[in-house]
Amino acid sequence: MSVTWQKRTHGVQRRQEAFDRALARVFLGGVIVITLLGSLYLALVATNTRLSGKVWQMEEGIAEWQRQNEALTVEIARLSSIPVLIQRSIALGYAPAANVHYLVLPEP
Amino acid sequence: MLRNPESRLRLISLLLIALLLLVVGQLVRLQVFEHPRYVAEAKQMLERQYSLPAAPMGKILDSNGALLVGNLPVFEVDAYLERTDETETAIPELAVILNRPEAELRTALTFPETYTGTHVWAPLARDVTSDTLRQVRAMNLRWVTITPTWKRYYAEGALAAHVLGFANAEGYGYGVQAYQWRLIYTPPEFSAGAISGQNEPLPEEVARRSVTPVPGVNLRLTINRTIQAYVEGELDKALVEYQAEAGTIIVMNPQTGEILAMVSRPSYEPSRYADYAATNQSALFVDPAISKAYEPGSVFKLITVASALDAGLVDTNWTYEDTGMLEYGGVVARNWDRAAHGVQDLEGLLARSLNVGAATLTTRVLGAERFYKSVAAFGFGQLTNVELANEAQGLVHMPADWDWQDGFLVTNSFGQGIAVTPLQMAAAVAAIANDGVMMRPHIVAERISSDGNSVLIAQTPIGQPISAEAAQTLTELMARAMETRMKQATVPGYRIAGKSGTAQIPVSGGYDPDDIIASFVGFGPLPDPQVLILVKLDRPAIDPLLRWGSQTAAPLFQRIAARLFVLLQIPPTE
Repeated sequence: MSVTWQKRTHGVQRRQEAFDRALARVFLGGVIVITLLGSLYLALVATNTRLSGKVWQMEEGIAEWQRQNEALTVEIARLSSIPVLIQRSIALGYAPAANVHYLVLPEP
Repeated sequence: MLRNPESRLRLISLLLIALLLLVVGQLVRLQVFEHPRYVAEAKQMLERQYSLPAAPMGKILDSNGALLVGNLPVFEVDAYLERTDETETAIPELAVILNRPEAELRTALTFPETYTGTHVWAPLARDVTSDTLRQVRAMNLRWVTITPTWKRYYAEGALAAHVLGFANAEGYGYGVQAYQWRLIYTPPEFSAGAISGQNEPLPEEVARRSVTPVPGVNLRLTINRTIQAYVEGELDKALVEYQAEAGTIIVMNPQTGEILAMVSRPSYEPSRYADYAATNQSALFVDPAISKAYEPGSVFKLITVASALDAGLVDTNWTYEDTGMLEYGGVVARNWDRAAHGVQDLEGLLARSLNVGAATLTTRVLGAERFYKSVAAFGFGQLTNVELANEAQGLVHMPADWDWQDGFLVTNSFGQGIAVTPLQMAAAVAAIANDGVMMRPHIVAERISSDGNSVLIAQTPIGQPISAEAAQTLTELMARAMETRMKQATVPGYRIAGKSGTAQIPVSGGYDPDDIIASFVGFGPLPDPQVLILVKLDRPAIDPLLRWGSQTAAPLFQRIAARLFVLLQIPPTE
């Protein structure tokens, strides 16, 4: 091999090596950035899904509490309805008033 | 040429670039040019329409916030069967739990022979309570589906049935619930999105929108349940005592137009409206207080006298010669007792309830134009626009009508030949009680939304059919007439103004020779009336000599007024 060829090829090789290292750094940097961004995205999606799941559970809980609340409201209304109150009053010894008058008391 | 390594390198590079371009090209094709198609396909695979949990309807409360109509949480139990599902072993136990005959349940759970599909849906039970549902769940049947829903609950049973009413799934019905359907009812919501295998939205969907049911608007009524219950009890007793076929009582505040109680008999249980409909008893749903017009009889003389006083054509010194008979327009008016009462003034006309006097006012003093202008100003022949479904507007013949007869001017003066609803009559007399200012009768006091915001319903004056002076004069005449000839309707300690009526009932070709409608309307205590009561008894079947409005409706009015003054904490004025 001639000296010129050697010089040329070695020169090319050196330049090539330098270029490859720069490329590798850029590539590696890119991979790291992409991995970071990807991880961040996945973490966000996971958090969002987990929170959404919690929201769903809580919404279901609210709906269930709403149903229990309505059931209790109905039960309270049943127990304080006029027929029940009359029954309980009679059982306690009270009698329906035949005559009711407005009692005006003198000023003290 | 390819021996040169550089050339080989270039060739491989070119091939790799071509391959890369091919991949990039495909990616561009799939993700850019064909993006909409693949998105649509993906949606079709993942997304379904799903229903959000049913929202409870708005509650109906009385004036003090006591629950009148609420919502009972119940469940719908259905079967969603695959052809391979085995149901036979579960049927006996399921039939006992769901209270259905075994044979009926077996039919429901059998694939129809002609049906070729893979799945079949069958309803198994409705309005299932939590306790029953627990037993169904314990059976652990894969093919049973459960849907939470609501059932209307009437806390006081049949109390205020006509006022509360009901509405079917389409919103058609009666009472305040049908009238305010759009407010109290939240329609089932459907949404499209990614769903799970259990037909529930995926968490990602939930993040986009709330799935908590939003209840309908609650309505607080002007009805007071204590007063309503008392008045219902009194009407029931009166129907027995006077052997009346039907009856209506309206209690309202004349100063605000608030209806404190409204009762009609016969009545029904709103929670069982489907049973009534199935047995052809739907006529019971119609509220006579607002939907059935009647001829009011002598109570209407108040409108005649009001009209004459307001026109300034008569005063308390006005008199006429009562000959016991008046002929006009081919109609002969006679007094109820067929007697002539000589010289009478307005107080005598009202106290003795003289038809001839009333006819004298319309035919010789007022004339048709003034009288019917006044009748219209009092709201007769028009809807009151109370918040109840199916209101009737009554029937008033006007001089411009094609079927007008001059004789109407006579008969209408004492409340015959004219049809009004009890609520129209009560609202008109309330205007007299309220210094001539007519308030719109209303039954909804407040609208309360699920987020706690509330809107108070304004008390609306809808006109002034007579002047304050005329109203005060008429009130005084009514009170004096009661004190002289209607003591059975007075309440010791309180000054009351009122008027009784005994009306004939129109039938095909004339009037019913046997039956009457007895009524009384009064208000008090004077001079600041806070309660107006209208009592109407249809066809009392006791001795004809004892069934006049002054003998049946008036004592009933007295009993109710005496109790209401105490219940409403109104101290005696005398």
